Amino acid sequence: MAESNRDKILQNIKQRSRDGLLSLADALAIAGQWNCSLRDVEHIALDHAITPSRFQRNSLSCQEQLRLFLSRVAIIGCGGLGGRTAELLARLGIGHLILTDPDVFSESNLNRQIFCSTESLGCNKVDIVDRELQKINPALETTLHISTFTTGSIDTADIVIDALDSTEARITLSKLCRKQQIPMVHGAVKEWYGQAGIDQASNNLISTLYPQKTAPSSPPRVLPMSVALIASIQAAEATKSLLGHNSSLTGSWLETDLLHCEFDSIKIPHDI
Amino acid sequence: MRVQVKLFAFFRDGRFIKEDKELPEGTTAGTVVDDLDIDREEIGVLMINSRHCKFETVLQEGDIYAIFPVIGGG
Repeated sequence: MAESNRDKILQNIKQRSRDGLLSLADALAIAGQWNCSLRDVEHIALDHAITPSRFQRNSLSCQEQLRLFLSRVAIIGCGGLGGRTAELLARLGIGHLILTDPDVFSESNLNRQIFCSTESLGCNKVDIVDRELQKINPALETTLHISTFTTGSIDTADIVIDALDSTEARITLSKLCRKQQIPMVHGAVKEWYGQAGIDQASNNLISTLYPQKTAPSSPPRVLPMSVALIASIQAAEATKSLLGHNSSLTGSWLETDLLHCEFDSIKIPHDI
Repeated sequence: MRVQVKLFAFFRDGRFIKEDKELPEGTTAGTVVDDLDIDREEIGVLMINSRHCKFETVLQEGDIYAIFPVIGGG
């Protein structure tokens, strides 16, 4: 975009904004007028301390909102945990999501996967999640991988969300993230229970939780409340990491039990 | 000897969350797992007093023994 156009767009943004907020209708009108993307308009606005109105209730500072806008989060697995996390991060205002999943939606996903509906059965999860996220946040940029994850799924990300459902794949993803020095926000669920933590160079989270390469294989039994809870924790932890907040989950993992309403923070042992 | 056993996630189903147990001297971590009818294949983490242990580790008076399953769903 030419510098002169950028200045004129900024002028336009300033004219239309009210109390430091720019409405979606105004942002779209400006994008139409200057033949640029909504994302370009919102980027210029955030660069100049004007926040798109849909982020008003986040109550983050404009600098924090800009930092999230410029962040890239890789979501590995777009089913239960991945779909929910993607939805939360898109609403929050993460600028770029890299979505990876080889599967299509099936009927057994309907109980817990937010973007699985009777209309999306048989469709690629990645395509549907992307389509629905664009309706929530049309300035969101996405990169889609309809495949199992590779280095290319994570190597440009600031942080990775582990939303996988296989022990073997989790161990591989953890190794890949460690090699690339990217923190991985782990989450896993079963029935009423779940766990979450941050796997990174300073700890041995995944090798602690999954000492064996394979786990007993049975069809996953997962309640939707457990999925929503753990996905929320994963989204919060990713956000805190991107904004530079400390988290106790770099030295511990969280065990959640919705049946007995018990939440335990367990210190990761250093003795392996 | 007295040992506190703590169970996590679905290992609690039909058992307990936390229980003080009177165990014979020499009882191993693995024996407690077997006595609770927990499949060893389902174990993720075993910890005594917040440190890793193995099935063969012998429990001591006053230990806090925590048993976690592998949780894998996504």
